[in-house]
Formats: sequence, structure tokens, C-alpha cells
Amino acid sequence: MSKPVLQIENLNKTYMLGKRPVNALTNLNLTVNKGEFIAIMGPSGSGKTTLLNMIGCIDKPTEGTVILDDINVTKTPEDKLYKVRRDKMGFIFQSFNLLPYLNARENVELPMEGKIKSREERRKRASELLNLVGLSGRENHRPQRLSQGEQQRVAIARALANDPAIILADEPTGNLDTKNKQEIIKLLANLNLNQGTTIIMVTHDTNAAMHTERMLLLKDGKIVKEKEGLHLAKKNSKCPHCGAPIKMTDDNCPACKKPLFQTDELFAS
Amino acid sequence: MGIISRALRNLSRRKTRALLVIVALSISLSIMVSIPAGLMANQESTSAMANNLGNTITQTSQSINQTLSQIDVSMSANFAGFGFSQAATPSPNTNDRTGGSSSGGSSSGATGPQNFGGFGGAGGGQFGAAAGTASPMNQSLYSDIANINGVAAVEEILTASQGSSNRTTTFMGRTFTTLIVDYTIQGIPLVSELVDNYSILPTNITSGRNLQAGESGVVLLSLNNSKFFNVGVGDEVTIVNETFTVVGIYSPSSTENIQSLYMNLSDVQRITNNTGYITSLKVFTTNSEVVDSVASSISSLHPELSVTTQQDRLDQLQRQQAMYEEALASAQSSLAATEATAIQEIIVVVAATSLIVLFVMLYTVRERTKEIGTLKAIGFSNKVVMGQFLVEGLLLSTIAGVVGIAIAAFAAPTLSSLLLPTVGTQMGFMNIATGSATTVTLSTTLMLEALGAAVLLGVVGTLYPAWRAAKIRPAEAMKYE
Repeated sequence: MSKPVLQIENLNKTYMLGKRPVNALTNLNLTVNKGEFIAIMGPSGSGKTTLLNMIGCIDKPTEGTVILDDINVTKTPEDKLYKVRRDKMGFIFQSFNLLPYLNARENVELPMEGKIKSREERRKRASELLNLVGLSGRENHRPQRLSQGEQQRVAIARALANDPAIILADEPTGNLDTKNKQEIIKLLANLNLNQGTTIIMVTHDTNAAMHTERMLLLKDGKIVKEKEGLHLAKKNSKCPHCGAPIKMTDDNCPACKKPLFQTDELFAS
Repeated sequence: MGIISRALRNLSRRKTRALLVIVALSISLSIMVSIPAGLMANQESTSAMANNLGNTITQTSQSINQTLSQIDVSMSANFAGFGFSQAATPSPNTNDRTGGSSSGGSSSGATGPQNFGGFGGAGGGQFGAAAGTASPMNQSLYSDIANINGVAAVEEILTASQGSSNRTTTFMGRTFTTLIVDYTIQGIPLVSELVDNYSILPTNITSGRNLQAGESGVVLLSLNNSKFFNVGVGDEVTIVNETFTVVGIYSPSSTENIQSLYMNLSDVQRITNNTGYITSLKVFTTNSEVVDSVASSISSLHPELSVTTQQDRLDQLQRQQAMYEEALASAQSSLAATEATAIQEIIVVVAATSLIVLFVMLYTVRERTKEIGTLKAIGFSNKVVMGQFLVEGLLLSTIAGVVGIAIAAFAAPTLSSLLLPTVGTQMGFMNIATGSATTVTLSTTLMLEALGAAVLLGVVGTLYPAWRAAKIRPAEAMKYE
């Protein structure tokens, strides 16, 4: 039994829209174990990003508790939260959010600045991480000289910089073309498999979601459904159409040639 | 990758903007430096002028005081011809009040006063009589003037002009011969009572020294004399028929005859064969109030004498005095006005500079909201974010400060005269008044102070934008552009 890395209890978040209160999250409970790969899905306005912000300590809940790696972050004072964000969390954004005037390695070094004193050590670790995400040799390139897929890889390396307890990814494939989408999602799945990184990913993309272990459907601020993902990297999965064994890298079934991730009606019915 | 190198990269990332801001800031900073520089130059030249005018005013006052109590006495022109025939035989007889004068060069060992072409009168070397001669006065006849009530001292003067050639002019059928003067000998009594208490000698000695009380056989030459004789200090020079040692050379003032050389009265009397004779007297009264009564006493004692007080000269000096005082007052009031203008302009420039920094940095913070949100989401503290922007603002204003000082180093005179209109004109006038050029220069202290001010304004202007940056929520990073 894995140890829970994240425990959310009775989470409520109410925004004031003018004078009208809007419940973004209502009595939400969620436990995430170490090494899990979770997809949060749901229509716009269902509270996905709000939930991610609560976990990421960049917004405060109206009620409830969030315990992250044994730290009750809802009770942590504002001026100490930056340390939680720096040491326990890695953010991956839809639009990559790299600093355009820094090269790939310097971008990866950013979160380590307050934590690792030695400049040499920071450089070394940044290079290792870029190597891990498949960008060795591109350390000195600035973002505008990298493709979008490469930029997101840099962002992933940056998210891993301080060896966080959880990686929070907000639509990490939302800005990418099909090929890059597949590559990024496989990279995340492999990190989860090989490094044991806990990943919570908000996504609209069902193909991407199918790569996770657990898919949660959010609606009106509540988790309304939970499904098991394929997690092709972890499980010895079979083709949902013909039952032939499939590999992580496959987009289509090697036997029946049908696309593996055409699960548009994933949460239908 | 430290905060400073990140700040530098950010500035170089938007080169045009950084450049524009630096240009704008450096211009305002150069103005900020030029104003005090101009003001300081103005203050300096005004104080130099005040000093100079103060000295002039003091001198003029002394001159006025002296003039007020001074009476020039010489033989009246009406009496000059009176003694003409008796010239060769002056006698101690009290009836013989005038010495003779004859045409140039007729000395022949006579015991009477000899005329070398003409004696210069007192107070500027006019020739007394129509024939171009001044009349000698028997010294002993006029010793009673010193006893008149109110007389402090009497200076006995023997003036003799020397020339080597004559000029002949014809006027109304008559022929006049005028000596072309080579030099004029001023014989004055070198007694300490006079030398120490009254300005009877030239004051502007350019080399050597002045004559001293009790000296004999020495001479003080004017610059002209020194050229004429081709001698310098320490040299010997032959005057008439005796050799004198040059002790000093003076530069004549506007009231002194450029051809006058000075020596002891007794020397002049001896070499010109005029022992016991003088050509004029200068009477110093105890104070200015008794001048008129002393003058009328002299006139009534010796009706043959021409007695002159210096009312005209006095008026002129007083006008001059008033002008100096007015000039000083106007310089001081214009300096006060300039100071007020300078303060207003500095306030405007300081405000403009900090507003430029404020708006540019606010704009930058706004523009980089997402970047700041990202930095905070990945674990940057408020302090570090604020520091980042403070360093950027500081860097911007420091660079601008250095550039601005460099501009000011060249343009301070122009800028300050443009901004403080009185600086240029005023200083032109003061240069005339003080005789030295006053220029607007930047002292090292001023430059360092300006740089300090630039840094300070950078901090002040960036404080609010940096605080705004620190308050940006990390959730801003989530917004998709």
C-alpha cells in the first residue's frame, strides 16, 4: 500500500462573482498515493484549474484541508508557501511559461536558485534533467529557438528540478500538435513509471488521459466519476479493439491497425 | 544566473525601450547636474564680484576721503609772467614771490630756478602758463601754509619736464615753441610723515620696490620711462646730469602721468638747479569739513596762488561708487532669483525623472505579469521578485546617471545658461567686473552626488512597481495568452 502524498478533505471554494457567490469546488475529497499518475477532466468551469491551484498552494480554499507530503498547506502562512511550492511542487503550464531571455539550462536552474547554493551543482543537475527529457545538447538554446514540444520538455525538466513530491500539469499538451502531444504524454508516463514521479494532470485531451492510471471527471466542483486509465507504460496492456498486446510507443494497434486512443465518449453515459 | 545578470538580460531584451529610457533619464539627469553646476559658478562669480567690488568700493571710499581733504596749490597763471624778468635772480625777499621761467635750456650756472622747457603743474601735468611753463615758487615763502588751522600736512612738489627736441607752431602770426617731453621728473619729499600717511607715490609697483622715506639718489620709473632709458630695476640711469639707481618700476594708474618718474624733492632741486624752489603744493587737511576754510585761508594769505579743491573729481568718484554698489546689489538680487529658479527646475526634473522610472517600471511589471506569476509558482519568494525589479530599475537609472553625467560634462555650460538665463549674461558682466573668466565646471563631488541622486531616484521610482510585482498572484501564470 503506497503512502498518500496528497490528501484533500472536504474542500470548498467560493468565489464572489459581483455579489453572487459561485461555488467552484463543493465538498471535494481526494487521496493521491505516491507514484500515481492522475488525469483530471471535465468541461470548462467545472473547477479543474481551481482544484489544481488549491493543490499547488497558489490559491486558498474557503473551507477544508489539503495535506501535501504531511504538510497541512491550508494552515501554512502565506509568506512560507513559496518554500512549499519550490520544494514540493513542480508546475507544468499549457503555454510552457519559460523565461524567453534565459536559455534552456538557465530556465531549468531557476527553481534551484533558492535551494542549491553551488552554481556548479545547479548547472550539473539542470544538464542531467535536460538529458532526461531528451534535450541533451540543446542546453544553450533560448526558447524561441526550440520547437513547442522541446519548450514543454524544458518546462518538464524545470518542474523536476527540486525533485518534487507532485508534478502539477495544467493542460500540458493543450498547445501542441498531435505528434508533440504524443511525445510529451509519453515522456510524462515514462517519468511516472521510471522515476516514480507523482503526476496530477488537468486535461481536455482524452488520448492523453488514457495514458494515466486514474481519470477523474469533475463537474460543478465535484468529482462525479472515476475511471481506470490504460497507462500503457505501466501495464501490459492489450488493444481495446482486438486484444493484441500493445506497446507504449504505439499509436495504433500493431495487429488490427485501429487507433488506440479514439475514446471520445470516455465519460459519456 | 544571478539577479543582476537577469536584470541586464531583461534590459538588453528590449534594447530600443532601454535606450529611449536611458536617453530620457540621462537628459533629465544631465539637467539636474547642470543646474547646480551653473548655480555654483554663478555663486562663485557673484562672490568674486562682490569681493572685487567691495575692494573697489573701499578703495574709492579711501580715495574719496583723501580727495575730500586735499587741496592742490600752484602759482596762478596770472602771476606767472609777474616774475618773468626776475627769473635769474630769485631772492629771499618776501616781495619776490615768484620764480622766473625762461625758454628751454638757458641754464648757465645761475643760482635761480631753471626751467627745462616747462614745469608740469600739479594734478596731472598741465603746463601752467601760455608759454608752456609752470612757475616756480620759493619754498620758504609758503612755509606758513602748514601753520594754517586745519592743515595736517603739506607736500611740496617740484615737477620738471625734460625733452630733447622742440616743436614750433605758428598761431595768429606769432611763433610758439613747445618742448616734446621725454620724461617728467616728480620731486616729492621722501619724509616718513608723508610717505607713511598719504598716498603721494604710485601704488602699482610691477617690479622692484617703491621709494622709501629718507632715500636719496634713487629713482622710481614708470613702464614708459624704463623703456625710454632702456633700464631695469638695479640699473643706473642718468637724469639730467646725475646718476640714479632704479629701485622700482610702476604701472601708472589712470590719474598718473605715464611719463612721470619719482625721486626725492631735494635731488630734483639739486639736479635742476632749483634749490629752494618748488612748482606746486598739495595740502592735506585734517578732515573734509575744513577744506573750504583752509582753501580760503590759503587764498587770502597768498592771493597769487591758484587754489583748487577737487569737487569734480569727488563727484565722479561718488558716481562711480554708486554704480559699483548698484552693480553689486543687482548681481546679488539676480543670484537670489537664479537660486529660486534653480530650485523650481530641480524639483521639476526630480519629479520627471522619478515619474519616468515609475511609469516604465510599472509598464514592465504589467507586461511581465505572467513571467512574475510563473516565477512565484515555481517557488520564488516575494522578496526575490521585488529585488529583481528594484535591481532592474536601479541598473537603468545608474546607467542613465553615468550617461547623464557624461553629457553634462560637455553640455553643462550650455544647459545651465539655457535653464538659468542669468548665468550666461551675468557671468559675462562679472568676467568684466572681476577680470577673470568664470566657467561652469563639474566638480567630482557634484558628479558623485548626481550619481547618488540618480540611484536614489531609481529606487524611489521602482519601489512601487516592484511592490506591485511582488503582489502578483502565482495563479497569473495559469492564464493563457
